[in-house]
Amino acid sequence: MKQKIIIGPWSYLTGAILLAILNTLLFAVMHTPWQITTAITYWAAWILKFFGGTPENWHYFANSASRSEGLSQHFLSNNLSLMNLGVILGALLAVLIASQFRVKKIKSPKQIIAALLGGIIMGYGTRIALGCNIGAFFSAIPSLSLSGWVWGISAFIGAWIGSKLLIKYLL
Amino acid sequence: MAEVRLDCLFEACPIPLIKTMQRLKVLNQGDVLIVETDHSCATKNITEWVGKQKLLCQVVEVSNGEWEIYIKKVR
Amino acid sequence: MKKVKIKKDQSAYFWFFSFFALILLFFFGITSPYLGVYWLFGILFGFVLQKSRFCFVAAFRDPIIAGSTSLFRAVLVAMAIMTVSFTLIQYNAIQGGAIAIPGRISPVGVHTIAGGFIFGIGMVIAGGCATGTLMRIGEGFLMQGIVLVGFLIGTLWGAWDYPWWERVFISKSPTVHLAQYFGWTGAVLFQLVLIAVLYYIAKKYDDQNNILL
Repeated sequence: MKQKIIIGPWSYLTGAILLAILNTLLFAVMHTPWQITTAITYWAAWILKFFGGTPENWHYFANSASRSEGLSQHFLSNNLSLMNLGVILGALLAVLIASQFRVKKIKSPKQIIAALLGGIIMGYGTRIALGCNIGAFFSAIPSLSLSGWVWGISAFIGAWIGSKLLIKYLL
Repeated sequence: MAEVRLDCLFEACPIPLIKTMQRLKVLNQGDVLIVETDHSCATKNITEWVGKQKLLCQVVEVSNGEWEIYIKKVR
Repeated sequence: MKKVKIKKDQSAYFWFFSFFALILLFFFGITSPYLGVYWLFGILFGFVLQKSRFCFVAAFRDPIIAGSTSLFRAVLVAMAIMTVSFTLIQYNAIQGGAIAIPGRISPVGVHTIAGGFIFGIGMVIAGGCATGTLMRIGEGFLMQGIVLVGFLIGTLWGAWDYPWWERVFISKSPTVHLAQYFGWTGAVLFQLVLIAVLYYIAKKYDDQNNILL
């Protein structure tokens, strides 16, 4: 029993129920449900700023009060950024408690290209669809927003094509 | 009764699962396939899929965050 | 034949990082209680995601490549629970005098389809969605670090192009909240029935599919 809880893995259903409870609590306490990519955009913009860019003048940030406020903060003072850092640390703790931590190397240049390309189109997709699999799907459908369902169907079709590409080029 | 090793170290999901599927297909009945992986999700989705095929399966953690999945093709 | 390696006990690191997290919780909490709450929720989300190997990519992808829908069905269960709880929160907020319905309610249109579609391709190729990438960085995957670099480039690019998308699609797209059309009770029932039907189809699909063997 103790072994099962600490080492895991827990069943998908357990995970689903716990995530649903956590997301509900977050929504109840903070009045906004879970989201990930807004803070990733801030990360990118802060890095750009560090290298001398001026994202604060971009339409995307300048025309939104909440985004310009977010941009004026930094890694450890923005709430959403902290939550993302928390996800990384939480996963690390979950691995360490089971003594399963290991640095996983990269095997081939092909993987690097796939990872970079996949990351870029995901990132672009999150901006135009106004969220990722969390903000535009996992938190949107329960908010009774039609956009969540449309996003889900689109992502499913995308995943189907992605799987074909993966089997063809990456295997 | 061959014993075949399949190196899936450093491979991301779902490549270990697809490789396991392909390799199992060409093995003979009674053979054992040992999948080496360091992807924690792969241990879960491979055992689930193997269970669905009604094959025998056992996961051994050989080192920190590194597993060997023993699959016996019983049918 | 068996490779014998030594498995080291990493619990000391666990306690070290837990202590570290706790100290940071104190510092963030003293700056602003909100920050502390977000920090704590992030850690809990990450812990649960890793422990249950919860992967949104697999939920979308495994039905296609392995005929397995267990993760997809788990997502549906979470959706069903949250449909009820989120609606209650929204309803109470509106009853309490809130002007706008809280939650993630976005305009729906061509941009949603285009964005969801390319995100779907990207997450399968990169082997991780937004949460999966963060979680796997915590697990020690170097490859997911590269995905994050790509992600950062992609979000910046998307933010740069955003005015065009906003002008052409987003500003012209309707924001649809299901309760507008079905009423609060109707919307919840409609969505729960839809989820139940999807669950049933997914279960049947799983039972009937033995892909590749």
